[in-house]
Amino acid sequence: MNAIRGISLSKSFQHYQVLKEISIEVAPGECYALFGPNGAGKTTLLRIFATLHRPTSGHFEIMGIDGKRDRPKLRALIFMIGHGSYLYDDLSVKENIQFAIGVRGGSVTDAEIKKALDQVGIGRFSRLHSRYLSAGMKKRLSIAKALLIKPKVLFLDEGYASLDERGVAMMNETIREFTKAGAAVLMTTHDRGPTAEVADRVGVLSRSTLKELTVKEMVEADALF
Amino acid sequence: MHFFRVVKWIAWKDLLSEYRNRENISSMFFFALNVILIFSFSFSLDPETLKEIMPGIIWVAFGFTAIIGLGKSFLIEVNNDCMEYFQCLPVPKGAIYLGKFLGNLLFMLTVEIVLFPLFVLFFNLTLLDQFLPLLLISTVATIGLSALGTLFSALTVQIRAREVMFPILLLPLSVPIFIGAVEATRGALSGDPLSSYQHWIELLGVFDVIFVVVSFWIFEFILDY
Amino acid sequence: MVATRFIGWLRRFEKWFGFVAAILIAAGLYTGLVTSSPDYYQGEVVRIMYVHVPFVQTAMLSYFTLFICSIWYLWKRESVVDNACHAAAGLSLFFTAGGLLTGSIWGKPTWNAWWVWDPRLTSFAILFLTLVGYLMLRTFLEDKEKGATFCAILAIIGFIDLPIIHFSVEWWRSLHQPSSISTRGISIAPDMMVPFTLMGVGVSILFAYMLMVRTQMLYLQHLLEAKQGRLLSEGQFE
Repeated sequence: MNAIRGISLSKSFQHYQVLKEISIEVAPGECYALFGPNGAGKTTLLRIFATLHRPTSGHFEIMGIDGKRDRPKLRALIFMIGHGSYLYDDLSVKENIQFAIGVRGGSVTDAEIKKALDQVGIGRFSRLHSRYLSAGMKKRLSIAKALLIKPKVLFLDEGYASLDERGVAMMNETIREFTKAGAAVLMTTHDRGPTAEVADRVGVLSRSTLKELTVKEMVEADALF
Repeated sequence: MHFFRVVKWIAWKDLLSEYRNRENISSMFFFALNVILIFSFSFSLDPETLKEIMPGIIWVAFGFTAIIGLGKSFLIEVNNDCMEYFQCLPVPKGAIYLGKFLGNLLFMLTVEIVLFPLFVLFFNLTLLDQFLPLLLISTVATIGLSALGTLFSALTVQIRAREVMFPILLLPLSVPIFIGAVEATRGALSGDPLSSYQHWIELLGVFDVIFVVVSFWIFEFILDY
Repeated sequence: MVATRFIGWLRRFEKWFGFVAAILIAAGLYTGLVTSSPDYYQGEVVRIMYVHVPFVQTAMLSYFTLFICSIWYLWKRESVVDNACHAAAGLSLFFTAGGLLTGSIWGKPTWNAWWVWDPRLTSFAILFLTLVGYLMLRTFLEDKEKGATFCAILAIIGFIDLPIIHFSVEWWRSLHQPSSISTRGISIAPDMMVPFTLMGVGVSILFAYMLMVRTQMLYLQHLLEAKQGRLLSEGQFE
């Protein structure tokens, strides 16, 4: 069984076609990196899998669960770190995490929160209101949420964006932790260097084609697109 | 239970944020205060006329309170894309609606209860012996108003002309609530026994049930377009 | 594609609807305005009723169509159904406005007032406001899919709310305006039935025809916008 399986997915916004018959499969424990020019539909593809968009045609499965019919069940398995920080400005870092987990119907102890925050390097700020966080810190906070939610499939939209060098290293460690535990990671990125360290497979997306490369080819290519 | 835990978390988050910044309640309260002020200059205030128009003044003031307060209720959710987070939650979306609705209801009732003494003060009324019936009427009417307001707030929050669109959608469709509330208040203010305007309160109760149930059911589509 | 098949079907049948509507309305207007006798109580004024009543009925029919299409859209998410919703809402606004206007003109000589807070009039005024809000919401929501869904939700809520409004105004009015003027119980003479029926059916079919044409127009407009988008972004990929 594949963790992520998309079969000829198309997406048009009204009649403007963003994705055209893209098929992709990612196995559990695998990290798949998506490259592609701006506007190639990378984010749209991720958002379809994260159930934020409905595909115009084609269908997809997450861990064997149909993406059109069983959306609530599917949503329990996934987590997406995207452009939004999903934070409330007047809640502290810790309260934001408690809320994010609680509203999913889960629960989390203070010790677990502390451990996750320390792991992503913002343990000192757990009482700070989230309005004072920088973009990089918000990203780290999202990673901490992912660590606590432990999704079976993790989506990273621009995984390395706004992270510093240590943050990038921490992100890669987190990705490895997820894949070791058998979760699949699908990420969009533009940074070939750090991606080469964690990616198992690489694809270059451009609206209607998904060209697969090996990691070695990706590193050695002059230009990906 | 799973469902009610989610409701609790949503309401908790709204109440905590409101407690920290007091944005909503203070703007609702001071806006209503200004409305009362203008009204006191707009009408000749001999006791007989006042008795006629007082229910109208009260409910116009409360209506403005609703427009100011409820219209902004989902603003907190779009600032950091929290709506997207809600969309990928594996929980019934009605729980999110109920949480928001309860928070809004509480804000509205708080402001209304603070405003009543001001009506007594500015318009020289004797509301004290009628306090309990008035509280009952306000609660029943505010439930319906908050139910519709919460739904329309979610509909209009992501458009630029939010401040205009929210009242344009809310006010026509909440006409029944205003009719019921004004008539019941008129009965209460003139010191009639409860039984003489009880039918209005019962009618408002029926509206409440319809509005809450329909909004609860249809909210699923707002978060899963 | 469902949409293309649907549009093709509309193109094939729309002419017939237009043709039948034209004949029925022409016949209805002739019998109503020329051959039928003036009303015993209302005199010549009654003739505006041959326009007013069909308009009001069609306004309700078109809002009901909007309601059904909205549920259909939420169920199937077919963008051409959303075009039909949009078309139905515009037409419903047109017929509601027409109904209010003709009713008001009729009311002046009959009740000696342009406007009365009668339950039916009030419900129609609120229907009018709701439809204006609906069309405004549509223009303001830039994301088409979101706009379609949100508007469908509004239409459904409005449909459920309208009977409630009608009912509450009825209660309210029984309190404040004792029945000095009655808006009910105009008995209909047999020779008035002919124009009423012709016009009623004719305007309903006219609505169907207009709905078909307008749906196609909106569909084509979106195709055009998409084509524009494609042209603007061309060269980036190819």
